[in-house]
Amino acid sequence: MSTRAVIDISKLPHHQFDTYDPVWWGNNLLLAIETSMFAILIATYFYLRQNFPEWPPPVAQLTATLKPLPQLGYGTANTILLLMSCAPMVLTDISARRGNRGVSQIGLVIAVMCAAGAVVLRGFEFSAMYFRWDSNAYGSVVWFLLGMHMMHLCILTTEAVLLAIWIFTREYDMKHRVDIVTLAIYWYWVTAIWLILYPIIYFTPRLG
Amino acid sequence: MSHEEAQKAQKAVRIEIDRDELEATMRREKEELERTWARPTGLLGWFTDTDHKAIAKRYIVTAFIFFIFGGIEAALMRIQLMRPDNHFLSPDKYNQIFTVHGTTMMFLFAVPIMTALGIYLVPLMVGARDVAFPRVNLFGYFVYLIGGILLYTSFILNTGPDAGWFAYVPLSGPAFSPGKRVDVWAQMITFTEISALAGAIVVIGTAFKMRAPGMTLNRIPLFVWAQVVTSFMIIFAMPSVMLASGFLASDRLIDTHFFNPAEGGDAILYQHLFWFFGHPEVYIIFIPALGFISPIIVAFSRRKIFGYVAMVLSLISTAFIGFGLWVHHMFATPIPQMGQSLFTAASMIIAIPSGVQIFCWIATLWGSKLNIKTPLLFVLGFFAIFILGGLTGVMLASVPLDLQIHDTFFVVAHLHYVLIGGSVFPLFGGFYYWFPKWTGRMLSEWAGRLNFWLMFIGFNLVFFPMHKLGLNGMPRRVYTYLPETGWGTLNLVASIGAFILATGVLVFIINVIWARYAGAVAGDNPWGADSLEWATTSPPPNYNFHNLPVVQGRYPIWQATADAPVVRGLSTTKRETLVTSVMDAQPELRFEIPGPSIWPVLVSLSAAVMFIAGIFTPWAILIGAILAGIALTCWFFGDPNYENKTARETGERSEPAMPAPELRPKEV
Repeated sequence: MSTRAVIDISKLPHHQFDTYDPVWWGNNLLLAIETSMFAILIATYFYLRQNFPEWPPPVAQLTATLKPLPQLGYGTANTILLLMSCAPMVLTDISARRGNRGVSQIGLVIAVMCAAGAVVLRGFEFSAMYFRWDSNAYGSVVWFLLGMHMMHLCILTTEAVLLAIWIFTREYDMKHRVDIVTLAIYWYWVTAIWLILYPIIYFTPRLG
Repeated sequence: MSHEEAQKAQKAVRIEIDRDELEATMRREKEELERTWARPTGLLGWFTDTDHKAIAKRYIVTAFIFFIFGGIEAALMRIQLMRPDNHFLSPDKYNQIFTVHGTTMMFLFAVPIMTALGIYLVPLMVGARDVAFPRVNLFGYFVYLIGGILLYTSFILNTGPDAGWFAYVPLSGPAFSPGKRVDVWAQMITFTEISALAGAIVVIGTAFKMRAPGMTLNRIPLFVWAQVVTSFMIIFAMPSVMLASGFLASDRLIDTHFFNPAEGGDAILYQHLFWFFGHPEVYIIFIPALGFISPIIVAFSRRKIFGYVAMVLSLISTAFIGFGLWVHHMFATPIPQMGQSLFTAASMIIAIPSGVQIFCWIATLWGSKLNIKTPLLFVLGFFAIFILGGLTGVMLASVPLDLQIHDTFFVVAHLHYVLIGGSVFPLFGGFYYWFPKWTGRMLSEWAGRLNFWLMFIGFNLVFFPMHKLGLNGMPRRVYTYLPETGWGTLNLVASIGAFILATGVLVFIINVIWARYAGAVAGDNPWGADSLEWATTSPPPNYNFHNLPVVQGRYPIWQATADAPVVRGLSTTKRETLVTSVMDAQPELRFEIPGPSIWPVLVSLSAAVMFIAGIFTPWAILIGAILAGIALTCWFFGDPNYENKTARETGERSEPAMPAPELRPKEV
């Protein structure tokens, strides 16, 4: 008989929320990539603005010159909807941590409906701009900003739908509860990015 | 798990073992591990294998093949420039060749091969079974491969990009570059940057969460630090070129006006976006190479590194300052003078952290009994060449001088001194150093020395005369020159040097082929080195370590006590690996990582549809996105071999998988 020093890890759990789980890190690093992408995109928006004496560029109508500011309606509605969608998501987040399957299911369904609504509203937002992407550089950058955010809205919605299908049809296990908590971070991030983009797109042109 | 529990788990206990039982258990576990971590075979296996070592080896071979392609293009250019008024290549071919050469060397060789070494070595150095996200890793490789194939297919079809490796607008815009050449370039960028981003996430995840117990932040090997710092640079730099190439592609395809001055766009914006990535890119290539140098110096001077903390801080500050230099590529554009001064200052400041590292290495080498083998020779060659490149870098940071020699061969000389000296020489040193670990066999020392001297002499012969050519006014990217310019002699010298350099690379290739079959058998640790990759067999088993190690110092092998503890309790029948805390590497989870899968390659093929067909029609983006969505959905749901199936079958999730009864810990 001899002895050997060991660290016994056989009692450690398989999953744990937040910084414990590698998935949390993978997700947040992806968000870091996308955050720097949006930061550079916003810098591009203001860089291009320097080339325009008036931003957005005026449109010559028959008699008067129109300042084609982006219409506020759909964008504002979308902001409110996205903010509201965070409520069911917070509920889902907390219930996933506590292991309450029913609440997670209800929260996720409501959140998915909000996100789908936001995607539809985003479609109208494009039409609220007076320019197309190929009209001028202003149109290009605004469409890109809206489009990139819309892409994230679509991915977010799809991801939430898939997770919802999983927890309705398969087991509500730790692995997927961790996934839900991670999805919630993505959700808050998409909302937060919009809260930055919304005033930039809709209000900075109004400031003069 | 609470912190206290974590600490308790961290504490080693002694167990009683019976020698015979131990051997039987070890044998049984070994068989189980072999079965659990078995790699898929056959053609399908090639597409589904997630083993980090297999992926990394493929990355290395692929990148090296692109290196040879890039080298052949360089040789063609040197033949063309060998004498004045030469007509070996047409101007159009020459444009394509220098563009594809630069693009290949930067995007298809330098970045991927640095990531590749990280993917191979980081899990081994931190004592993990595999990387954190093996399937993302596999996806990254295929995306990279597709990007490379795209570039070379179009090059063969005479549609190779021809607007320089940075594809400045307006030259690359729709008005001046009709056809699809620049689109190929823009989409190839997209592929390689997705691949680099995937690699970065894999490396950070592994280095942060998969370290062996005891490997606290201040014990992480410098190689791993360099990889982590590089990965963070990739995360913050790559989105910029993604936007630059994305804007360029959409300007060309769907008539946006980002770079069209007539509609309020801006050509200088492209340069900002490109170089905000492009300058950090230099450090993305250079910093991993710094990570090769430290372990080589430690192993061959048989000393601890001088100034570990200073080294780590230098890496990090290089990364930060590296983001504040991009405008020094644009001194010939109308940048306000204040801005120019700022970027000049930053360009000079970055010499400080590089200097700190060089002095730390010299201090490590100083007075030690050097064991001069090929890897160390390459590192010493790096010192000579890189310092010269650094000096011309400080010269170029000064605006008046830069304006004078902008776009001349002086810049070509500088960038090759920095990139070949700073990256390729340490990389070859790394090849010689880690080849025994990868293959189990040693490269020939004799051929290694020949390889080094041919490359060193050849390199200086090619690129040193270019300084003078640049000062004499020879512009870069011009396919020929007149005899009256008097540039013929130096160009001839450079061309001769190019062939000596190429011979050196050829010697390396022969050495590798020879060593694969006839090289001396290496053993686990042929260099007597200190880090954990040498604590396992050469080549390592699929599961890397039988028992995960416990780290007792910054130099785990040198500092291991006779009775170093090991980790027990990971399942041998599931692909479990140990997840530890970021700061102190306290054991946190028994995390099951996914194994072989077909979905990563299908997602990368969807990306190929999206971006390659996207050269021709914007609808491809939508179709590709839908295909990728389908593949990702299947990735998410359909996986018979992964933990949920196992869980459903066993009906129990949290059963303690190990230890085997005879090894159950008892406090002694």
